[in-house]
Formats: sequence, C-alpha cells, structure tokens
Amino acid sequence: MVLKDVLAKEARPAFMLGNEAIVRGALEADVKLVAFYPGAPTSEVLDTFSAALDSFDYQMEISSNEKVALEVVAGGAFSGIRSLTAMKSVGTNVASDILFVLGYTGVRGGLVIVMADDPHAHSSQSEEDGRFFGPNAYIPMLEPSSVQEAKDMTKKAFEISERHRVPVIIRTVTRVNHQSGIVQLEKFERKEFKKVKWQALSEKFTTLGEVARQKKLKMLKRSIALSQEFETSEFNSITQSDSEIGIITSSVSYLHVLEALKILGLQNKISILKLGTTYPLPRKLIQSFIKKLRKLIVVEELSPYLEKEVYVLAKDTNPDLKIFGKLSGAFSEAWEYNPDIVAKGIALSIESKRHEYNDFIINAKKLRVNLPDRFPTFCAGCPHRATFVALNQALKIQVSKGQNHYFANDIGCYSMWIYPPISRSDSSLCMGAGVGVANGLSHVIEERVVAIIGDSTFFHAGIPAVVNAVHNGNKFTLFVLDNSVTAMTGQQYNPSTEYIAGGKKGKKVLIEDICKGIGVEFVEVVDSYDVKNNVEIFRKALAFDGLSVVVSRRECALYGDRVKRRQGIPIVPYYVDKTMCKRPYVCLRSFYCPAYELDKDKQPRISLELCDGCSVCSKLCPLNSIKRAGVKK
Amino acid sequence: MSLDVFICGVGGQGLVLLTRVIGDACARSGIKIITGEMYGLSQRSGAVSVHMRIGDDAFSPLIPIGKADIMIALEAIESLRYIEYLKKDAVILLNKRIMHPPIETSEIIAKKFNKDYFSLDQVLKNLEKWTPNIALVDALKLAKESGNVRTENTVFLGCLSALEAFPVEEENVKQSITDSVPKKTVEMNLKAFELGRKNAYDSLCKKVACREKN
Repeated sequence: MVLKDVLAKEARPAFMLGNEAIVRGALEADVKLVAFYPGAPTSEVLDTFSAALDSFDYQMEISSNEKVALEVVAGGAFSGIRSLTAMKSVGTNVASDILFVLGYTGVRGGLVIVMADDPHAHSSQSEEDGRFFGPNAYIPMLEPSSVQEAKDMTKKAFEISERHRVPVIIRTVTRVNHQSGIVQLEKFERKEFKKVKWQALSEKFTTLGEVARQKKLKMLKRSIALSQEFETSEFNSITQSDSEIGIITSSVSYLHVLEALKILGLQNKISILKLGTTYPLPRKLIQSFIKKLRKLIVVEELSPYLEKEVYVLAKDTNPDLKIFGKLSGAFSEAWEYNPDIVAKGIALSIESKRHEYNDFIINAKKLRVNLPDRFPTFCAGCPHRATFVALNQALKIQVSKGQNHYFANDIGCYSMWIYPPISRSDSSLCMGAGVGVANGLSHVIEERVVAIIGDSTFFHAGIPAVVNAVHNGNKFTLFVLDNSVTAMTGQQYNPSTEYIAGGKKGKKVLIEDICKGIGVEFVEVVDSYDVKNNVEIFRKALAFDGLSVVVSRRECALYGDRVKRRQGIPIVPYYVDKTMCKRPYVCLRSFYCPAYELDKDKQPRISLELCDGCSVCSKLCPLNSIKRAGVKK
Repeated sequence: MSLDVFICGVGGQGLVLLTRVIGDACARSGIKIITGEMYGLSQRSGAVSVHMRIGDDAFSPLIPIGKADIMIALEAIESLRYIEYLKKDAVILLNKRIMHPPIETSEIIAKKFNKDYFSLDQVLKNLEKWTPNIALVDALKLAKESGNVRTENTVFLGCLSALEAFPVEEENVKQSITDSVPKKTVEMNLKAFELGRKNAYDSLCKKVACREKN
C-alpha cells in the first residue's frame, strides 16, 4: 500500500487500488467515524483507514462482526456524524438485520455502506448478488466500474445520504475493489472532530408496528424522490451511436463491454447506457435509451437484475425490442465476466463476427498436462498446521478405540483443510456455522462431532452456538484455533489481539474465559506448536462425555514475523542434516509445509528463504535430523 | 496503443509491491494504467497474478485471452498456468526459481518416486511451443547480490524497464522504487533494479528490442 497517495492533501493523479480510492473519497468527504469487520475483497479499506488513523481525526473501530460494525456507524450517523463501513457480500447477510431497519429509521449524518460482491467466489463461499439488498431495504445503491468512480461515488454518496436522510450502498465487485488505476485526487480540508450533544438533536430513530407502517410510506416516497434525482445523475452516461443496437451495463462489466467492442471491431458502433445508480433505477433515462432500439443487450454479472427491470420498462416503451442477456441464453448467471466472455455474448446476440479464443485455451491446456496444482495452503510456520498434525494423531487413536468423527470446518485460514493434500472436512459453510451444525449433528449422528473455529470467527458468530450447546447439554468437541489476528484477510486485529485500530493498545478478550464463564466443563489451552503433548490433550477432549473446548493458541506466523521484524528479533530457519536423515519422510508425509521439497538425493530439503523457524517439523523427526541453521538476513 | 503485461508468481514474492511501483511510475509520467489483481486465498505460497494494462487503449482490468505482450513469471511453474493470456510472440521474463507446491512433493512420496518434479526444462520446453522470446532470469541470485533476498520483484522491474515497449523512463521508475519500498531497503532495491537491467542488456536485448542503454 502506498499510503502517501491516500494522505496527499494536494490535487494530483495517483495510482490506487479500488479500496484505497474508496478511503480517499471518504476522507475527501470528511468522514468522522468508520467501523469494519475485515472480509475479502474489502479488507484493504479497513487496512488503509487503520494506517491513516495517525494522520487524521476520525474515530475508528475494528468491530467483532459486520452487524456490530454497521450498528457502530449507525450510531455516528444518528448523531449527524459522517460515517462509513465496508463489508463483503456475505458480511451483508450478517449485517442485514440492522440494514433493513436503517431503511426505515433513516439517518441524520451521511452513512455510506460499501458492499463488495465476489462473482466467481474468489474468496467467498458463494457468488451472492447483493444488489437485491437495495430494493429490498429501500436503500439507494451506486455501482462504480473504475477506481476513479469508486472515489467519486463514495464522496458523493455522503451528500446523497444527507440530502435524503438514508444510508447509501456503494456496491462493488472484486474486480473493482482489487482493480488499480489512476485516480485524480482532489484537494481537501478536514474539520476538527468534535463530540455532538445528543440532547440538542432531539430526534428519534425508532420503528415498530404503527411507527413502522408510517415510515414505510415515507420510505416509498423517498425512493421516488431518489429515482427522480438519479435521472440526471452524473454516474449514468450514454455513449450514442447511429446503430439500432444498444447495450445497458454497469459495474466492471462496463469496462469489459468497452474492451469487447474493441475486440469485435464495433467501437462506437453500438450505443451504451452505463448505469451507476442501480437502485432506484433512472427509469425514464432507460426508457428514452431503449425507445428507438431494435436490439438491446444487457451485460451484468450474476443475476439478471437489470435485465428483468428492462423487460418491464420495454413493455410500455418498446414492446418489439429484442432483449439479449441471461434470459436469452447469451450470457450466464454463473461466474465473473471478462472481455472474452462479454465479446462472445455480444457476438452471439447480434450475430456479428464470432469471437473465437478457444484455440488459445485448448493449446494452453495441452502445455499444462502434469503441471502441479498450487492449492491455497498453510504458510510456513502456520500454527494451524501444527494443530492439525496433533489432531490427526488424536483422531487416529480415537478411531482405533471405536470412536469415529464428523468434521465441521468453518471460515478462516483453517478452511484450507478442505484442499488437497489434506482434504478433510465433512462441512465448511459460513461464519460460525461449524459450531451451529455441531449442535444439530450431536443430536442425530452416532459419531463424535469435531468442530473447528478460529478466534476471529469465534467472536464473530461462534459464541451464540457455544452458549446453545452448554444450555442444551449438546456433546461435541470444539477446537478454537487462536492465532491472535484475523489472519486470512491480512492479519487484522480482533478481540483476541492486544491492539485495536491504528495499532493502539486494546484489551485482549480470552476465549477460555468466555467458555468457562458460560459453563463449559472441559476447557484446555495449549500452545499449537507443542504437537507431542497436544495429542493426548486433544484425545481426552474427544473422549470427554460432554462439550469440550480446546483453545490452541499461537500467533499467526505472518503476524509474528512482522512483530519480530519490528522488534529486531531474527528468524532462524531450520535445515535437514543430510548425514542423519534416513528418509522416513515423516516431515513430508504429515506436514505439507511449503518450505519443504526433495533434493536430488530424494532427501527432504528446507528452503532457507521460506522456512519460518517454527521448529515443529524438527520435533516430529524420529531421527532428530532437523536442526537450526544460521540467522537469516 | 497499449502494453499488456501479465505478472504471476507465488504469494510472498512481492507482486503487489511490484504492481504499486509500476503504477506509481506511470502516474508520475502521465501514462494511463489499469490493473486487475488476484491475490488468491492464501497469504503465502498460493498462486498470485496481476493483469497490468499500460496505455490509453485498454479498458478492462483484465487482459483478453491471447493479447498480453509480456509475461513476468516470478516463479517458473506459474508461467504455464496463465499462458493462454499471451500473444504467440510475447516476451516472457522467466524466473529460474521453482517453488514446488507441497502437494507435488507429497504425490511423489505417495507414488514411491515413480514420478518426478515438474522441471525448469519442462517449463521451458512447453513455453517455447508458445513463443521464442523467453528470457531466463536468475532473480534469486541477483537479489542476493543486491544484499536483500526479497528483491526478486525489483530485479524483474529492472529487466522490464530495459524493454523498448515499456513506456516509463528509468528515472521515474527509480523514484517510485525509492518512494514505495521500506526506507531501509531502498539502496538494495535500487541495486537489484540495476542488476536486473544489466541482466536484460546482457541476454534479453539480443532477442527483443530494448531502450537505448544510458
């Protein structure tokens, strides 16, 4: 991250990540309160705000989940303070309870909610289309296609929010959040942060029964007003041509459309309506665009959200209009788009020259025969690997005693247990669901249920399911893999860290204290690296006739490295003593560390560049042939 | 005109920083650039790729199939994973380094050594079926020479900056390196940049058009 560009006070061009541009837009809008739970592809919004906290006077929180984060910023917005949160698509599900309510209550200060969908499920459990939150909650929605728009829309969203007293969603997709490009920075001045007097505001944010029914009517009027405003929004644009063929598109698909038309040699030969305000839709603008067209192609990822709206509008305006999109079969509702897919879909719709690129893919596949896969895997030094080595041994012992297992995985780095070469997990669902289903499974299956959850996920959505297990007497074993940070999204602080946003000192919340406090009878805390001793403790937990919780604790290796570097503590790698190694391959068979490979003598070799010095493999080697090397530079 | 560069490697090799430096240098030079970055699920050791598009004529953050002019492969095996993005005469800057994924090693042991590692020779043989313009770079060696083993990415930046097709002036790239890398490593990165550039003039520039040597 190049923080200097986010901080720059002067107007100039800068190269930025979409997420950084969102932060810049919010800073230019003088945002005063931000709160997040990290989630790809939005995590860099949190990281950038956290890094910039020293330079500006906003309040910031890394919250325990997305719902809490949205409630935190709602508190700010109720008080007239400009506030922002960002969350990944599935995080919006968690926050949706308060999201719908905020549609009713409205807000006083600008409230912007960045919601990032992840077509292609690059880093999510589903390809959810969050656009339906807009119309469902009557909350306006803007969709940037480029990094420049990401900044401009974020800034503008605060004004829209305050004008209509409603939260505004900035809906992005991974290819916008993780797109970088040139952004024109604007000069900005920030006002000093001051607490407000609630009593001076005298406003109520309530909704229930009759109050809700009245607010619903207001909400409908608000959406009409927004729709009228969006008819002339700068974020909707038409590129006119003489053709009777038009394209309606939004988000990153707009950029793919421009590229696709170039590929097909149709640049400036097809009219384009690019929509930036996708709820409420500028209906008149759409109607005037489609009025004289013969054919219309709708290009959007995931659901036919715009396409269905266009069908409705065309019924009155242009009933003979031929509409191409997902419903016509030209495009798929599955997976993300790219210029080639869009070019193919356009060509199919208008029967133009076909866009052929299959030969490239077929030939490339031939060159990839026997190419090894590179699945996501645990980093060198990852404490989860050590936990799993001990757990696998404990499970094996229990199996030999007649106890079999159901394995409930959860969302975090440990999810990677579902990938080869380990490939072990009976379920891997959504945040905290491993503990939730463990409750149900413990009622109905004969096997012992083993649930795994990380520290951050435990705080996020795991606790209610553990309370449920204690109260109902459900018997299973829960392993909490506590690596002190939210590792998978970039090692953000969480309640298990002694730091909070901006690297300030916070209070570490102990998982074992929570478990003991709610009445779990078997609670053990172990050091993840202590594999040999952990096997027996894990086994006892599995054999316990009741709910057992084991907290396996050791900080994330990447986070630990960062701390070590800061404190000047060297990382001492290990090496295999070739004279002692008799090649039993224990280090390779059960450990799967990316620092390992085989040398030309078929002996294990540790890459000094990759080894993190965790020492776990050295403890597993029956021949003691793995030793500490010199200090790494 | 546009120059499409496909960058690939393994998490932890500094692809993101490399992208930042080039982007910052473009911003400094008034050149348009757009990128699409794929970090993958894992922080380290997973596949990472960046679509980089420099110039006015590129719209999408993703390079169309068969259109990339240059590939920078920070890890050799990864080059084949994205080969379909390259033009048939594309330039490939290929790191000699192979980082064998754990699954490959575990399969070799499971098959009792009736299987070998995917080798650099195999990579080269397959790449040559696509394009003749391949420059092999021993980036780890050059990075070590610079005094910081983590500067492989900057070595490649040096190689790239020698190419005629790369539109950013050397001075602007160096300024961006200075502004973007940790302060303690600026000198080592600038050295790695020079070593990469020299490496290009010594080998690559015999095959591919390069900028005039300063």
